[in-house]
Amino acid sequence: MFDFLEPLFFALFALGIIGAGAAVVLLRRITAQALLMALTFACMAGMFLLLGAETIALFQVLIYVGAITILILFGVMFTKQEERAYGLFFQKQAPLATGLAVIVALPVVILAFSFKDPATPSARGSDLIPLATSLFTDYAFPFEVASVLLLAALVGAIVLVKRDDQ
Amino acid sequence: MPIGPFGIDPTIWAVLRLVIAVALTIFLVLNGALVQIFLERKIQAVMQDRVGPYHTGPFGLLQTFADAIKLLGKEDIRAKLTDAPFFLAAPAIVFSPMVASFVVLPFGPDFTGVNLNVGLLYLTTLGSMTVLGIVIAGWASNNKYSLMGGLRSAGQLISYEVPGILGLVTVVLYVGSLSMVDITNAQPGPLVNAFILPFAFLTYFIAALAETNRNPFDLPEAESELVAGFLTEYSGMRWGVFFLAEYGEVTVVSAIMATLWFGGWHGPGVDAVPLLGVIWFTLKTYFFVLLFMWIRATLPRLRIDQLMGFCWKVLIPLALVNILLTAVLILAFPDPRLPIAVANWALVALLVVGLPFTQRRRLLRFRTRTRESVGMRDARLAP
Repeated sequence: MFDFLEPLFFALFALGIIGAGAAVVLLRRITAQALLMALTFACMAGMFLLLGAETIALFQVLIYVGAITILILFGVMFTKQEERAYGLFFQKQAPLATGLAVIVALPVVILAFSFKDPATPSARGSDLIPLATSLFTDYAFPFEVASVLLLAALVGAIVLVKRDDQ
Repeated sequence: MPIGPFGIDPTIWAVLRLVIAVALTIFLVLNGALVQIFLERKIQAVMQDRVGPYHTGPFGLLQTFADAIKLLGKEDIRAKLTDAPFFLAAPAIVFSPMVASFVVLPFGPDFTGVNLNVGLLYLTTLGSMTVLGIVIAGWASNNKYSLMGGLRSAGQLISYEVPGILGLVTVVLYVGSLSMVDITNAQPGPLVNAFILPFAFLTYFIAALAETNRNPFDLPEAESELVAGFLTEYSGMRWGVFFLAEYGEVTVVSAIMATLWFGGWHGPGVDAVPLLGVIWFTLKTYFFVLLFMWIRATLPRLRIDQLMGFCWKVLIPLALVNILLTAVLILAFPDPRLPIAVANWALVALLVVGLPFTQRRRLLRFRTRTRESVGMRDARLAP
């Protein structure tokens, strides 16, 4: 009876990701852009939910909507609200930007259209335990490397903003 | 044809159940706020040697109803230079995650909206989304005080999210589940998690005070400094929605504390009468709500540097030590309850005993520095 819901939600989320993502690039109001980016992240979390990965979906919202968007807004809040010419700086690079975008987009498009039906996702239920086991056993080394990298970035950020007189 | 509960078709029941749950949640949120505002006024009045509301209804019970009707009847004012779509959306962004949180709260045996196996993660996720609304409210108001309130809120909430989550993680490590129902079931007896993990509770309690913008952490809306912070430009029911959201959040974090550390719905007589669990859960939750009010009436507001310093220099390191100790002890001992309890109580003692010492050293340092600067000024002024 409710079989139509999954494609419907997929369509909604896909529209949200593409539409909001395009609006982030094309709009000129920086707060609206930040909020639309949050919407993109939320729609991506919805995609994860459809795939049965609710833990990843929740982490997506927790980190991207709850923390990263806030940090961006934190920076945006220091800007003024009136219209201003954001476009000026980038206008000369338009041909170069188009070329680069095509170079990046081509492999993605080719991959997307050559993609065959994936293996069916594991039975509905928790993705928590598979996620944890893969993080801490199979991929423990990349996980630790990533955490060391983040730690280095954290220390670097603190060193950069430290005042000299202390 | 399969028949679900009450002889209703299961597919229809799935939808009906959702409708009932949402209706009940809105009922709980609105009435909980009414009750809490009344309690807050009365309790603060008693603590400050006043009478509190007493004109409207018996014991002033109808005062909050009168206020709610007043708020609904107020003119809808929006300052001209506010950023309309964001200004109007902000209360909804703050309010809706709070309402959604109620779905996973375990009110009693078989009285849980959804037994999500990542329920606790769901609650922290929704809790982190309210900051977005507050920051937007502060920015869209086009008012320097509001902006300051929003900025403070962003800094404070992101910082205190860390020790709060670390406190929750300790319990999850110990219990071995993120589901609110499983965590409740793991502490059936009188030996609740609060006795075993008191330090995790302390960190979460402090972080919860900060995350719900309650005293002594209500810097985003500090009246004496910022008019009303991010609420300055809001009036009428939009302002009311912010307050509903605040009281709802207080209820949610109190319910989390009652579930994780104080056994949730468990209490005498629950096995015989399951409905009694709802009463125990409500009593435990409201105990923390009242504790929040007590703290609000007692403690002065912190300064922003004290707030941040306490979070990053004291709470987070100790919470990290706590997680490390708990994890190691769980692996080291087959029955880790006693060692974990010893380690946790030791950390609590360290925090409680250590704070005055560090504060005393800071105070002495400030005093000598002030003396030096005063001495220099006197030398300069001397002929």
